[in-house]
Amino acid sequence: MPRQKIVDMSVDWLSILDPEGNVDKNLEPDLDKGTLEKFYRTMVLTRMFDDKALKLQRQGRMLTYGSSLGQEATAVGSAFAMKPDDWFFPAFREHGVQIARGIPLKLLYIYWMGSEDANLTLPQKNFTVAIPVSTQVLHAVGAAWAAKLQKQSTASIVYFGDGATSEGDFHEGMNFAGVFKTPTVFICQNNQYAISLPREKQTASKTLAQKALAYGFEGIQVDGNDVLAVYSETLAALEKARSGGGPTMIECVTYRMGAHTTSDDPTKYRKAAEVEEWRKKDPIKRLRMYLEKKGIWDQGREDTLIKEITGEIEKAVEEAESYKPPIENMFKYVYAEMPQHLKEQMDELQGFISKKKGE
Amino acid sequence: MVDVKFPDVGEGVTEGTLVKWLVKEGEEIKADQAVAEIETDKAIVEIPSPKAGKILKLIGKEGDVIKVGSTLASLALPGEAAKVPEAPEAKPPEAKPPEAKPPEAKPPEKPAEMPGRVLATPSTRRLARELGVDISKVKGTGPGERVTDEDIRKVKEAPEVPETRPPEIVQPEVAPEMKALEERIPIKGIRKTIGERMVLSKFTAPHVVSMDEADVTELVKLREKDKKIAEEKGIKLTYLAFIVKAVTVALKQHPYLNASLDPKKNEIVLKRYYNIGIAVDTPEGLMVPVIKDADRKSIMELAKETEKLAEEARTRKIKLPDLKGNTFTITNIGSIGGLFSTPIINPPDVAILGIHRIRDMPVVIGGEIKVRSILPLVLSFDHRVLDGAQAARFMNTLIDHLKDPDLLLLDVE
Repeated sequence: MPRQKIVDMSVDWLSILDPEGNVDKNLEPDLDKGTLEKFYRTMVLTRMFDDKALKLQRQGRMLTYGSSLGQEATAVGSAFAMKPDDWFFPAFREHGVQIARGIPLKLLYIYWMGSEDANLTLPQKNFTVAIPVSTQVLHAVGAAWAAKLQKQSTASIVYFGDGATSEGDFHEGMNFAGVFKTPTVFICQNNQYAISLPREKQTASKTLAQKALAYGFEGIQVDGNDVLAVYSETLAALEKARSGGGPTMIECVTYRMGAHTTSDDPTKYRKAAEVEEWRKKDPIKRLRMYLEKKGIWDQGREDTLIKEITGEIEKAVEEAESYKPPIENMFKYVYAEMPQHLKEQMDELQGFISKKKGE
Repeated sequence: MVDVKFPDVGEGVTEGTLVKWLVKEGEEIKADQAVAEIETDKAIVEIPSPKAGKILKLIGKEGDVIKVGSTLASLALPGEAAKVPEAPEAKPPEAKPPEAKPPEAKPPEKPAEMPGRVLATPSTRRLARELGVDISKVKGTGPGERVTDEDIRKVKEAPEVPETRPPEIVQPEVAPEMKALEERIPIKGIRKTIGERMVLSKFTAPHVVSMDEADVTELVKLREKDKKIAEEKGIKLTYLAFIVKAVTVALKQHPYLNASLDPKKNEIVLKRYYNIGIAVDTPEGLMVPVIKDADRKSIMELAKETEKLAEEARTRKIKLPDLKGNTFTITNIGSIGGLFSTPIINPPDVAILGIHRIRDMPVVIGGEIKVRSILPLVLSFDHRVLDGAQAARFMNTLIDHLKDPDLLLLDVE
């Protein structure tokens, strides 16, 4: 009865594009010029979208907002690996994924201005923003399991942060996905902080990706600021899921350059030097250098792009601010058929309003 | 012109400290350019301008506490600068009188009256139930004022002390058929707040009421003339605007009328800022919007702002800061009716002016009876702070200025 090693597991690290925009030729995905430009454009758009949202919030024109500054590669790389038919389950910092999935900027602004109407994206299989931490993991696994039972070849992809890996819902979802081999891709946006809690205090595990190994499926760590690595790995994981290979967890190692939300002050819990170190690894800067080296990008194109996006954002803000949702919409969105108690509340409110108007 | 305001930049932030101006007066700025750095209890944030334009005026200085909703800077939009006189609507940072609660604010909840809110373990609560002790009335001696088993037992053993209560008006027994003809309306919201504040005022400040009349024949003529000019600018020029102006002039000459009483420190607080509350009749009850720094505004501006605030109050769109900070209040009872009234002082003010309807009256001037326009005025004041002579002198100044509106122009700073 010897003592012997019976489980030997490992976690891979993947990086294709380094911070200076140099590419690993062996791993470089085969992407045409148009696709690369689309990646770049969407990442820049996401950054400018975020920046405008912060300004709006500081002017009292938008509610609490969490910027995705610095995490654009994780969002955009994984989003473009999806097919329209795949289910997408965001947390609340996936603006880049939402933009890449074609949700109009106007709707995204309307959502953060506080209207339910912005959630009307279901026909495209885009789930609503999950503010509670990690609840969406369960929804994603459920949707994937349903697709499997219905013998559809669609996958579901779910986003969450490093903090979510300490939540029960995450572990229940992961276990279920492993046991039932559901077609789910778990994208962990490890941005190093759960509000103010640093990654090393989140778990004693060396990687977050290895959590998947405990549940019997593959986990991999990728450079989350490398859009090519995120794209390649997500593409492979989704393909595997759709063809019956089961779930995968991808830990994207990135950094939240901004505050947790507009109500947070990160200077209280992290050093400026650390932020500067990560600034050197900026995902947009490195993709731009890669495109310039390939000869498909220059300053002239950059200027045109910035101008174009500025106009798009201005238009979206204008539309969002002039949008006045009908009051019934508050009651309409949770149930397909409005239950009696909501109907009563709606009637009461409408009665109140028409009485006010009469006065 | 556009105001750059300080919004709620966190979740429920109410004020912040102005750390640094990032622009200068006269500077051309871009949309979204940061105007100021403000520190809230959450973070230091930059406040960007919603529009591009030229900074006309920066309001407040570094180190000032700024309330959410107040204006930081006024901005002339491109092409607009020429038309705008220097910083006409600029509001200085809100001054900080001892905070009076606005009529709209809900009264603070009193935890002691909320059953079940005292800290206690479930077993202590059960003990209280078994012994028939009302746990919400027990003062806890445990950690964090937690009620202990011992506290419950002590209350049980103590002889019952009859509760002392203020005398109540006994509701007489009414026959059921009469009861059917009664309607009961719960007292809540603004009605409740009005009640509480009026009781507070009437039973703490000894009120004295002084009544007088002002001959406003000249003012009537002046208003008739200026009304048309105002109309062209979309402004409804009311007598109230002139009266507010005259009141601020009189307040400056009689500072004890623009004051409050600090009973804790036993001091009278004389205020060198003039925020005039205007009582407005709304469907929900009386509300008092406040015109900030009324002394620095022109009569046209006062007319415009009064109308705007009154409309916002009536439609419940008014913002909390616009209901705060009054230093003196005017109630325009005359617009509805009544010859004289005895208004109740609006805390923390020490005086309130009631104005009534202007009527044409026979007046003896130089031995002859003439028809003149007469405005009845009533002043209620707090006798702890003011005496009758001071109040009468204030009224004389006010009447002089209403009688001869030219004086108003001379007093404008």
